[in-house]
Amino acid sequence: MPLLKVRNVTKRFGGLVAVDDISFEIRHGETMAIVGPNGAGKTTMFNLINGVFLADEGQMIFEDVDVTHFPSYRRAHLGIGRTFQIPRPFASATVRENIAIGGMFGAAGSEVNVDEALEMADHYIELIGLTPHRDKPAGGLTPIEKKMVEIARALAMKPRLLLMDEAMAGMNPTDIDKMVEFLKDIRDKEGIAIVAMVEHIMRAVAGLAERVLVMHQGAKLVDEPTQEALSDPKVIEVYLGKPAEEFHA
Amino acid sequence: MMRHLQKYSPILPVLLAYGVLLGIGLAYPGKWQLIAQLAFYCALGQAFNLFMGMTGYVDFGYVAFLGVGTYGMAVSIYFLYDKGLGIGLIFIGLALAAVFSTGLSLAVGAVALRLRGAYFAIATIGVNEGFRYFVEGARIWNGADGMIFSRHLRKAVGRETAMTLSTQWADILVFGVAVLAAILTLVYMRNKVGYALTALREDEDAAKVMGINVTKFKIIAFITSAVLAGLLGASAWALKLTYVYPEDVFEIHYTVEAIIIVLLGGAGTLLGPIVGALIYGASKYFLAIVLPGFQLLIFAPIIIVIIVLFPEGTVGILKKKIRGTALEKFII
Repeated sequence: MPLLKVRNVTKRFGGLVAVDDISFEIRHGETMAIVGPNGAGKTTMFNLINGVFLADEGQMIFEDVDVTHFPSYRRAHLGIGRTFQIPRPFASATVRENIAIGGMFGAAGSEVNVDEALEMADHYIELIGLTPHRDKPAGGLTPIEKKMVEIARALAMKPRLLLMDEAMAGMNPTDIDKMVEFLKDIRDKEGIAIVAMVEHIMRAVAGLAERVLVMHQGAKLVDEPTQEALSDPKVIEVYLGKPAEEFHA
Repeated sequence: MMRHLQKYSPILPVLLAYGVLLGIGLAYPGKWQLIAQLAFYCALGQAFNLFMGMTGYVDFGYVAFLGVGTYGMAVSIYFLYDKGLGIGLIFIGLALAAVFSTGLSLAVGAVALRLRGAYFAIATIGVNEGFRYFVEGARIWNGADGMIFSRHLRKAVGRETAMTLSTQWADILVFGVAVLAAILTLVYMRNKVGYALTALREDEDAAKVMGINVTKFKIIAFITSAVLAGLLGASAWALKLTYVYPEDVFEIHYTVEAIIIVLLGGAGTLLGPIVGALIYGASKYFLAIVLPGFQLLIFAPIIIVIIVLFPEGTVGILKKKIRGTALEKFII
């Protein structure tokens, strides 16, 4: 049984069809990348999965529960976590409080009290290497640190599906490799399925994802294992441009 | 157990402040009115902060909750004075104040809490005026003629008790409301409610994605703050003055004072409203003596300067200064 089933989902904004009749599945514990050029509908797809937007048509089943009409906080309780492209930590709260908030209200929220959540937070702070900044307000951190806090906060929610919006944008290759290793480690240890949205960092896609869903103008172009997707002529044409030899020919 | 109690240690400076204030009032009866006024501002700021400070939503119609609370106490004394309830009237009055303010906060909240930021502020700005015209126009509880119930109170509890109730106990009840508001604020801060409110104040959409049912927590804070305002109106206005006129109690001026107090002291802090109330109340009092008639003219620019220079308020700055010291455990 898949973790998430997306069936014929469509989302329109006025006359614009941002997501057009898309179907796919996410399996337990897999890593998948949603890629596509700017405007392909990736962000809308993400917002549909975690309930920031509700679908106009179609259905979404998360572990046997029809979540199509669930608001985002109820999807979070079921185990859908998310990070934002531009990190959005709660600026006045400390790093520790930020991460604890994830634990308190996420999928494990109903069984976790404030003290337990704060203790849990320490574990994740160590994991992301921010122990020296534990009691500082998150608003004062560097962008990369904020990004790490956001990932830790999402992990503290104990999600079974983690949606990562451009987690590696703006990073240098060394940091990307580190982040890929970090995420793979999380996936293996905690059994979380990770769906990463990536616009143009193929290094991250190739390193992290087992499977790639390529979107183009709101529709699904291909949904294949990573290597095949990246060498698929359709993908290359709409997304990566024409192969170099065609220019030289 | 020890650790559990330590979490609540920031209540100590609050209780100390109120204790000192009350002590001064009892020791110098000539200053009792000033102390009572300061206590009113403390309670107003503390109750208002519980919603505005913790959620970041500014409710311009806040005084309406004090207004309906005042009517709660008035209705109890005016209509039930001959039922032989004695001092029980006061408790019924407080209960009615709580019920009225809860009812109004649910009605306002159901509509206005769907809106965000400035839109919420605009939506609430008409609540007190609207309610005032509703009471006057529909001639509810004597409409614009108000209710004068000093006679009723005397008949119900006797001349002596009535006197003590409105000259002393009304003010002591105000202290009680202030302490209750402070305790509730701290309890919220130390529990999930407080973390949820911090999250939604900083970023409401991100809070939802974290699994926070933002509407639920906003309503909790809104009702709590409204009930405290209702109790404050019932004691500081109804019981103390023993009359109520709609144009006096639905007066936006008090909402503005509440906003100033919270901003001066530090929105979202526990000690802030007390510091803000003392600064505001004391300077208002002394400016009125030194330059009678000009106090508002002088006060306005002072407030603007303070709020522009210190947007975090007095306690907000203090908190930064003491970070990492032992005081951190007590001042929040």
